[in-house]
Amino acid sequence: MSQHDEAHIPDWNEVRAALAKAASERILILDGAMGTMLQRRKFTEENFRGERFKDWKLPLQGNNDLLVLTEPKAVEDIHFEYYMAGADIAETNTFSATSVAQADYACESAVYDINYQGVVVARRAALRAEAADGRRRFVAGALGPTNKTSSMSTDVSSPGFRSITFDELVVAYGEALRGLIDGGADLLLFETITDTLNTKAGIFAAQRLFEERGIDVPIMISGTITDLSGRTLSGQTPTAFWYSVRHANPFTIGLNCALGADLMRDHIAELSGVADTLICAYPNAGLPNEFGGYDETPESMASQLETFASEGLLNIVGGCCGSTPDHIRAIAGVVSKYQPRVVPKIERMLRLAGLEAFTLTPEIPFVNVGERTNVTGSARFRKLITAGDYTAALDVARDQVANGAQIIDINMDEGLIDSKQVMIDFLNLLAAEPDIAKVPLMIDSSKWEVIEAGLKCVQGKALVNSISMKEGEEAFLKSARLVRAYGAAVVVMAFDEQGQADTLERKVEICTRAYKLLTEVVGFPPEDIVFDPNVFAVATGIEEHNGYGVAFIEATKIITETLPHVHISGGISNLSFSFRGNEPVREAMHAVFLYYAIQNGMDMGIVNAGQLAVYESIDPELRDACEDVILNRTPDGTDRLLALAERYRGTAGKEATAKDLSWREKSVEDRIAHALVNGITEYIDADTDEARQKFARPLHVIEGPLMAGMSIVGDLFGSGKMFLPQVVKSARVMKQAVALLLPYMEAEKNADGNATGRQSAGKVLMATVKGDVHDIGKNIVGVVLSCNNYEIIDLGVMVPTAKILQTARDENVDIIGLSGLITPSLDEMVHVAAEMEREGFDIPLLIGGATTSRVHTAVKIHPRYERGQAVHVNDASRAVGVVGNLLSKDTKVSFIADIRAEYAKAAAAHERAESEKKRVPLALARANAFKPDWSSYVPPKPSFLGTKVFADADLEQLAAYIDWTPFFQTWELKGRYPAILEDERQGEAARQLFDDAQAMLKQIIAEKWFVPRAVVGFWPANGVGDDIRLFKDEGRAEELATLFTLRQQLSKRDGKPHMALADFVAPTGTPDYIGAFVVTAGIEEVAISERFERANDDYSSILVKALADRFAEAFAEQMHERVRKEFWGYAADETFAPEDLIAESYRGIRPAPGYPAQPDHTEKTTLFRLLDAEKNAGVTLTESYAMWPGSSVSGLYFSHPESYYFGVAKVERDQVVDYAERKNMPVAEVERWLGPILNYIPGPAIVAAE
Amino acid sequence: MGVTQAMSRIDPIPVTVITEPGRLLALDAETALLRLPANSGHGHEDGAQCIACAARTDVRALLYDLLESAKRGMRPPFTKVVVDASAVPDQSVVIAALTGKLPAQALRDHTVARLFYLAGAA
Repeated sequence: MSQHDEAHIPDWNEVRAALAKAASERILILDGAMGTMLQRRKFTEENFRGERFKDWKLPLQGNNDLLVLTEPKAVEDIHFEYYMAGADIAETNTFSATSVAQADYACESAVYDINYQGVVVARRAALRAEAADGRRRFVAGALGPTNKTSSMSTDVSSPGFRSITFDELVVAYGEALRGLIDGGADLLLFETITDTLNTKAGIFAAQRLFEERGIDVPIMISGTITDLSGRTLSGQTPTAFWYSVRHANPFTIGLNCALGADLMRDHIAELSGVADTLICAYPNAGLPNEFGGYDETPESMASQLETFASEGLLNIVGGCCGSTPDHIRAIAGVVSKYQPRVVPKIERMLRLAGLEAFTLTPEIPFVNVGERTNVTGSARFRKLITAGDYTAALDVARDQVANGAQIIDINMDEGLIDSKQVMIDFLNLLAAEPDIAKVPLMIDSSKWEVIEAGLKCVQGKALVNSISMKEGEEAFLKSARLVRAYGAAVVVMAFDEQGQADTLERKVEICTRAYKLLTEVVGFPPEDIVFDPNVFAVATGIEEHNGYGVAFIEATKIITETLPHVHISGGISNLSFSFRGNEPVREAMHAVFLYYAIQNGMDMGIVNAGQLAVYESIDPELRDACEDVILNRTPDGTDRLLALAERYRGTAGKEATAKDLSWREKSVEDRIAHALVNGITEYIDADTDEARQKFARPLHVIEGPLMAGMSIVGDLFGSGKMFLPQVVKSARVMKQAVALLLPYMEAEKNADGNATGRQSAGKVLMATVKGDVHDIGKNIVGVVLSCNNYEIIDLGVMVPTAKILQTARDENVDIIGLSGLITPSLDEMVHVAAEMEREGFDIPLLIGGATTSRVHTAVKIHPRYERGQAVHVNDASRAVGVVGNLLSKDTKVSFIADIRAEYAKAAAAHERAESEKKRVPLALARANAFKPDWSSYVPPKPSFLGTKVFADADLEQLAAYIDWTPFFQTWELKGRYPAILEDERQGEAARQLFDDAQAMLKQIIAEKWFVPRAVVGFWPANGVGDDIRLFKDEGRAEELATLFTLRQQLSKRDGKPHMALADFVAPTGTPDYIGAFVVTAGIEEVAISERFERANDDYSSILVKALADRFAEAFAEQMHERVRKEFWGYAADETFAPEDLIAESYRGIRPAPGYPAQPDHTEKTTLFRLLDAEKNAGVTLTESYAMWPGSSVSGLYFSHPESYYFGVAKVERDQVVDYAERKNMPVAEVERWLGPILNYIPGPAIVAAE
Repeated sequence: MGVTQAMSRIDPIPVTVITEPGRLLALDAETALLRLPANSGHGHEDGAQCIACAARTDVRALLYDLLESAKRGMRPPFTKVVVDASAVPDQSVVIAALTGKLPAQALRDHTVARLFYLAGAA
């Protein structure tokens, strides 16, 4: 042992608090590569050896970690350089300092010293840096992955082999950890994780050490993803990786290494969405560019990472291989202007992991735990295991997963075998089978030592089945703590010192007691607890057994209601024990039992995923008898079921045939539905062919009976009467039927193609988004679309965004369709939309799948993809029309316009509904006002102050500014101009109307029916609170008028400001201006329309009014353009065609009092007075503040570039009182004018009683 | 569906390695060509590799990517692979990787070992 320098031992609670505080304020900086910097110093073998290893038996050059002992000053200086480049945290030079990795140099004995000195050296640098600039620095003790792996074999021909075990790793990591902690590391960093199981051993060692010493050192965890599959080297997805290490309660989770930031982004984004802790990213420097060279300048790396920061993905950032202090300086420079990522709140749900993540969401009514790999449950599996036929045993596991098991139960409790060893062997072999290992495992044994051995073999987050209080509290607590330390969730049996709970009371009492112990004493997350309240056999002939079914079901209800977040599971096969050998009855009993238990909260069960009767399809007589027994409804239930069971026993086959015959006699439509619901493929070809001959086109068979059958399947699944595996079977039937129809549709298509010479109508890319495997709906849509001559590129399921976009680009597709069934897919779709926007796509995006909705698309997806259009399409029949419209040159624009209008409405309705609930107090809304940066902005000055009158408008010129769409709306013809003219239903009426309007328009212009007038004014103005003060002149000493505005009080989610029009005018001190206008088509309109009325020509009367309206609006539009270009002149270069003006893409707004941005009509009084509108334009206000003549438009002009049309929406009493006082108007009068937007019922304020 | 069948353990995919520059093999529609880069281009000064580099140059990692691409419909299915290793400085590593003699570093190496075999070198 060498002499140790004195360590500085931190107070880790203080460190954690300080780091948390700093991380909440800014993005923290981690250092860059140590190896790259050391290589530059060109150390020789002598340098590596130093004094201590002068005579070492092996060459030591390349053992970089040794340099903390032999060249400490060099290492310290590199740390110092990084700290001074901006790093808050430096990693110690101890990546390979474990006995496992040091064995290559026979340096195992130096491991503790390297780790200890590694920290001491880094600390010296930290203290120097702190002394230099006064900023605090931290030291993270780095722990590498070791160079061995515990979850995989290094020998591909012997996949069960392990070069290192969990226990050996616990020892190795324990030693390194002691060195780092004794050296005084502020944090511990498990990095470049290539094997999650290794890290779990490291976490286990750390927690044991913490417990031993009564300390809690913050842990950072960083994995590595290097290939296209987006998996860690041990095969996990980023989310699965996070779930597997979440029990460490790490201070950060993240990724490092990889080829560069580019490849890391999607994975960091994924982690950012699922991890309720800080995110740390430190990619390699060195990004392969398109030309085969490498861009690795600090600037290019920093700019890559800047996008991470700007997207809110980062809490801590640094560099890995290839990065230098210059890189870190550049990174620190660019990320400093961004806010750190906000840690999301993650809902409490059972989250397990195999190679892939599994979350038990509320949308999953029931989880099938596959029971076929249980030697006590499956005779076949037991035979295979006892015979040592692991290959066939693995096939059993594979089949279960293929059949839809979401978790598989592994049980090796067999008296004749060494259960523990067999569990280890089987799990090690299973780990090399990605198609099995993707699902989480349930490690099932009645022996704790078998469970523990199993837990040491799985890298994912497993479920332990089970622990109980059978041997008392102490043993229970001990195993519970270990389950947690191994990072697993747990099934707790309702079993205590007195035995298994059989009554309702005992079940509830034991589970409640266990819950308290687990959550309060052990700190077990309640969502990770699954109670098994014991399923016992009913109908045994023993009277007290009759209540077992009911007891379980009722206990389930009480437990799930009183013990938050827990789950209920049970071994279903016990229930029907007395009917062994009578499969039809057993299946019926299980289906009936599950039907009721699930309704009452049971959400997991050990069942044979491939064999479950469908509740609805059980022979009603049998179902009734089962219900009597399970629900204990009649005393003679058992006898009746027994009697009935005889009819099924041994005659199951015949019975089934008899049943078959009965459904075979029905119509072909009914037979197809029956086959789909029951997953019977036997007759589907014949039935489909029969239907094909019956229907006019093969497509009609799909759209008719097949879709009808699938919709029944969907309903049954949704109501918990069918289960996933059954739905998968239904889909299989569907696919078979479609496959039979395909050649006919193909032939039809070819015939069509030859006849018309038509090419594919367009390319459609379809994909089920990342994290989701449901593709039935997508496939149906794909089939239907391809039947309609579209070329379908189906990327399948679980498709990452990058793949979708790359394929879309490569294949130059016309449209992308996304599908998903589970809730998280909704966020994924939002992500895809945002990425499409970011990457500059503009093709339409179709959204479909059971959980998607029009409102979600409108509110969440559509706004993220403004370049293109997201469209919600939930049924295949609509898809054809939607795609057709979107890809047609003629209809695309108007179709999208309609969609946008519809979504704007849906979003507005949604916002209303949302916002009606919550209002923000006025003071808070004001504090969150829109605050543009006035310091760097010079408001433009108008070319004149005061008013100017315009009476020489050219009607012909104005006609070009007419927006015709509202004209048709006036006539209750809904649709965009000009598409409306071709509208199938309304087209003819629209064309007729338009012809008449054009004729009248010609007359109006030729005969100068109207004499449009306008008055425009500008005044010096400043925003004062929520009001706009106008001044007589530039001296701004004498007030001319005040325009009062109202402020939004709706509660805003994403920190958006609470707007008031006053916010668009610069505050006192910055000279700003406001404009106002009144335009009218002319008083003549009144007389002309009256003339038509008198002639009983109502049609022309309305027509002329409508046209006058259009002229007024056109005039307003034209005046606004002149204001922007000439009078205010801030957009002199603007070159919009009149059509674009209608689309309102210019700078500045012209809101009118009485409209959403200022709903108070009475403000028109001030406006009219300022403009002297009556004299200058001939427009007056009615007593209810309407303008007369009606074809008039008024408003205010705002020039600020960020001004936009918003809606004030509903306001609270506090604002109304304040507003009334400012306006010097009685509150009751304000309330009268603002009636529609009051968020309260006017009347005396209700004061809470003292 | 050809790929799915080819991916069963009964039908491993033959891999032919080209060792000399300029050597050409007839490629058909069922054959995927994989060119191994000389190096990862990554900035390790002494020629060392990090695990990220390995993924860029390791024949097994690249074969795995090929499978992934085909599985996701991003490239045509294939039943044969030609690996052009003529640029690789040490071709014995490629051969060792394809014959199961190179220690597995990742789960993908097991997958590749089952689904591919070395059919020959040219």
